[in-house]
Amino acid sequence: MTATATSNTKPADRPNRPSGAARLGQWAMNNGALVGLILLCLALFIATPDFLKLDNLVNIGIQASVVAIMAFGMTFVIVTAGIDLSVGAVAALGAMVSAYSFSTLGLPGILTLFIGLLIGALAGAISGLSIAYGKLPAFIATLAMMSVARGLTLVISDGTPIPTSGSVSLLGSSIGAFPVPIIAMVIAGLLCWFVLSRTVLGRSMYAIGGNEEAARLSGLPVKRILVTVYALAGLFAGLAGMVLAGRLSSAGPQAGVGYELDAIAAVVIGGASLSGGSGRATGTLVGAILLAVIRNGLNLLNVSSFWQQVVIGLVIALAVGFDVLRRKTAR
Amino acid sequence: MPDQRTPLLTLKSVSKSFGPVKVIDDVTVDVRAGEVEVLLGENGAGKSTLIKMMSGIYQPDTGRILVDGQPVHLPDVKAAEAHGIATIHQELNLVPQLSVAENITLGRTPQRFGVVDKPRMNAVAREALERIGLDVPLAKPVGELGVARQQLVEIAKALSQDARLLILDEPTAALTGREIDALFEVVDDLKRRGVGMVFISHHLDEIPRIGDSISVLRDGQFVAQVPANTSQDNLIALMVGRDIDDQFPRKRPEEQGEPLLEVQGLSSGEAFEDVNFSVHAGEVLGIAGLVGAGRTEVLRAIFGVDPYDSGSVTLQGKALPPHDVGRSIAEGLGLVPEDRKSQGLVLDASVGDNAGLATLRSTSKFGLVDRSGQRSRAQVVTDQLAVRMAGLDQPIRDLSGGNQQKVVFARWVMADAKVLLLDEPTRGVDVGAKVEIYELINEITSLGGAVVMVSSELPEVLGMSDRVLVMSNGRVAGVLDADDATEDSVMALAVSEVTSAVTASEPSTKSAGTPS
Amino acid sequence: MNTITQHLNSRRDFLALTTATVVGVALTGCNRGERPDRITLAVSTQTNPFFVQLINGAETEAEAQDIELNVQDASDDAARQADQIATAITQDVDVVIVNPTDSDAVSVSVEALNEAGIPAIAVDRDATSGELASFVASDNVAGGTQAARTLAEALGKKGEVIVIQGVPGSSASRDRGKGFTDGIKEFPDITIAAQQTANFDRAEGLDVATNLMQAHPEAVGIFCENDEMALGAVEALGARAGKEVFVVGFDGTVEGVQAVADGSMLATIAQQPEELGKQAVLEAIKLIRGDQAAPEVSVDVVTVTEENVGDYQ
Repeated sequence: MTATATSNTKPADRPNRPSGAARLGQWAMNNGALVGLILLCLALFIATPDFLKLDNLVNIGIQASVVAIMAFGMTFVIVTAGIDLSVGAVAALGAMVSAYSFSTLGLPGILTLFIGLLIGALAGAISGLSIAYGKLPAFIATLAMMSVARGLTLVISDGTPIPTSGSVSLLGSSIGAFPVPIIAMVIAGLLCWFVLSRTVLGRSMYAIGGNEEAARLSGLPVKRILVTVYALAGLFAGLAGMVLAGRLSSAGPQAGVGYELDAIAAVVIGGASLSGGSGRATGTLVGAILLAVIRNGLNLLNVSSFWQQVVIGLVIALAVGFDVLRRKTAR
Repeated sequence: MPDQRTPLLTLKSVSKSFGPVKVIDDVTVDVRAGEVEVLLGENGAGKSTLIKMMSGIYQPDTGRILVDGQPVHLPDVKAAEAHGIATIHQELNLVPQLSVAENITLGRTPQRFGVVDKPRMNAVAREALERIGLDVPLAKPVGELGVARQQLVEIAKALSQDARLLILDEPTAALTGREIDALFEVVDDLKRRGVGMVFISHHLDEIPRIGDSISVLRDGQFVAQVPANTSQDNLIALMVGRDIDDQFPRKRPEEQGEPLLEVQGLSSGEAFEDVNFSVHAGEVLGIAGLVGAGRTEVLRAIFGVDPYDSGSVTLQGKALPPHDVGRSIAEGLGLVPEDRKSQGLVLDASVGDNAGLATLRSTSKFGLVDRSGQRSRAQVVTDQLAVRMAGLDQPIRDLSGGNQQKVVFARWVMADAKVLLLDEPTRGVDVGAKVEIYELINEITSLGGAVVMVSSELPEVLGMSDRVLVMSNGRVAGVLDADDATEDSVMALAVSEVTSAVTASEPSTKSAGTPS
Repeated sequence: MNTITQHLNSRRDFLALTTATVVGVALTGCNRGERPDRITLAVSTQTNPFFVQLINGAETEAEAQDIELNVQDASDDAARQADQIATAITQDVDVVIVNPTDSDAVSVSVEALNEAGIPAIAVDRDATSGELASFVASDNVAGGTQAARTLAEALGKKGEVIVIQGVPGSSASRDRGKGFTDGIKEFPDITIAAQQTANFDRAEGLDVATNLMQAHPEAVGIFCENDEMALGAVEALGARAGKEVFVVGFDGTVEGVQAVADGSMLATIAQQPEELGKQAVLEAIKLIRGDQAAPEVSVDVVTVTEENVGDYQ
């Protein structure tokens, strides 16, 4: 095809380009979480010098890790305009099956590590299948999976915690000075970033979340991708569950309750839109760390338990408010 | 009744900028009682900004707004409504689940002690409907009415709020010919009652039917006010700023090439039946027909979007498996869908991402995106197609309709498509950009490709096609050579199966329309 | 007693199971000619080992006495518990033993039982109104005080301590916290440096203990309002647990007792859940036989330390 340099072009096309100030505002809006995190850290440092101690920062990293890993998986889902309410329960199930296969079935520790990941991916894939092929709304399909996974966790555990294998416990400990949960979080984050920005799968997720029909008409196998997306979210949840269990050296039947909401909050705080098509691994990481910093700071300042829930609720409301505002300014 | 001399509404030397971009530059427009003022201009000329100023959504940076000759300030929609200014937007402001009466009285539902006063609500609604002579059941959910009637309900709603100036933003875009006639009757009636109107339409032929005068805008500037009976050629020249010598610059091939796409006996449930045709290299096959004749469905089935019951699709001698878009693309087929925004583009994504969507997988290695390759190819193709943009990273949302459509074309050029299926390729595209898209079609066919073009604009089908296939009620009613095709002969075929389906129910009528 | 974080999902977990049980019981009830003595035991949740042991104690006793015991699980959902008690009224059981999900919410059900003439026994948690034939519970306040004394002795009656609280506002958290605070007042050289919640959850206990030790590095004792959080705190302390910093838990769960045995926890205040279940059933049997039940039955809490841990393993 050769150039279509036509003589009858319009003299000046005027795309609605935002002004410099608007762009800066847009940047601040898109990186609101990072700005908020920095301000919060400064405020906490002024309030209590303990905050910026290396020990404490490492602690925050460890404490953010489980929700962050889960949230990286959730990022894939939210980019495709979906939602996964089951990740907390799937994390518990993955960890529980792993611990059960070690403690009761006597399988070797390293194998039980993969079993936990596999269970997570499997549960996610089932959600994905029922969404892509069964046409269930993601909210419903994953709500069902949440209940099923939590129920199975209780059935397997008989309501009591089960000790995990050494390999899983390693996930919760430190190698030398390096806490493994942080290493796991960094690896999961790099994987999330890589998938989203470099792979066909990741770019397809943005296309599907932005306009599923356009993606389909461009030849993307939308259903297969959706199954993969939920399987990935499940896999990340399985890893998060095992880091959680590893930190406690035991898989609990009530582990990870409500974590899905923290994970969703982290993704949204990180700048993703629940209507799909946007979301970044770095943003999600910032979101997860922000949540951990808030909890840590409230502990350090010995804020009453009653007020902690108020503060965390307000932060989530603020984050979703940002999402709404951002979409408003984008249109 | 206001003095006929004093305009109902005047925008006097208004300007408006968004950041550094001046979208309206010193424009003056009058709207008089009992008259229809047509706003004409290409997309991005500033029409919508102008009507948003009239309805209180935007405030002018400089200049004044006068109502009945008195300067006013319209800080919001409520203020405009208080002056009797109402807007009927393209996307209707109705709640589909609520009844006609509830919609008309929405926001001021008559009530007693917090309970809906149904008799009064119905009385208000009935009076409003009578004013425009619309006869619909008051209790019917608005969503069950056709688009045309919904629009009239919205007009009735505006009138029941004592609107004396109606802004009609492309009211005919979604209507059929007969519905347009009905709407225009209402408009004429409202004119007689002294309602002033602002009318926006892309259909130049509609303007002399109801307009009184035309204000032409170009690039945010006022070009001219001309009488409504100005010739179409002159109007286009005013809008575009230069003469367009040939609206349909089709270059027909000297001789027929090899058949590229062959469709045989394609049938799918109620949608279409026994569709046969072939398209040759270098050829444009137009598909005409009424809305609902099954044209879009046939394109979608060929492309593999939807499954079909029987028949076959062959591309360059190779049979295409049904319901497999990926294979269709791999074999050299491309589809430019009917609705650019909801089917064609990922609006939040960049120009580059949108252009590269169909080649994302085929160019990848080990599941990794070929980022530099995709980018350089997108740059080359968008340059070729003269897509006007700030760069590949610009969000496609910010481009004009014509340029957005060119990006969809660019996608298939990148994918090296041999046969393009176009569904209403110039819908919502400016006159100038339309011609560019036609030239693109010429390019594709001159390089040995083929094009199947579904269009509801008869002049376009007749002007750009080499052969015209007419569909009627899911069947091929006939195929005409471009030289023989006229609007009348196409329309006669388009309604043939519709009437026969009503008058005769024998299966023998099936064969009546199939091409020889 | 041992409350569990209230949460979204567990409410549905046992729905199918519960429905099946109700239907099953209703059917067998209809088939019998002569009615045996029947007791319904409505528990708050089975997701916590404590209540599982309570049920075990009740079931063992019921079996020994040849009484039909029907166990219902509300999954910490007050509304579901109300439904289950309503079902028991329809079945016209002889006695209902209820372990309330919530002391206020259960009152309506207790009043309904009063009206139907079915005696109600509360176990572990009280009902705020309505007439109870008997209330069987461990003494949480006394347990808190015992914990304070044990911790104080180990610390040499001086130093800073941290309190990790349960679900804010729950009665268990209130009572244990009150008992502990009162108890610690006897030792003027011991100060409570911080009080923060970890919602009775082990993972949260780990994080909160880590954070509080960061803010109060000189703290030498941690009182946790249940064993789950105490085990989390032990994780947080690592090698320092039991050597530099002493942790006292509450409940005497299997893992808690194990931690006392291996020295990572100083003590746990053991409730005797099986005993709670057993005592409740014994009171119920008294009522069935037409005897008077004891209005309040206090089941002892036991401080499990290194010295007596052998008896509880």
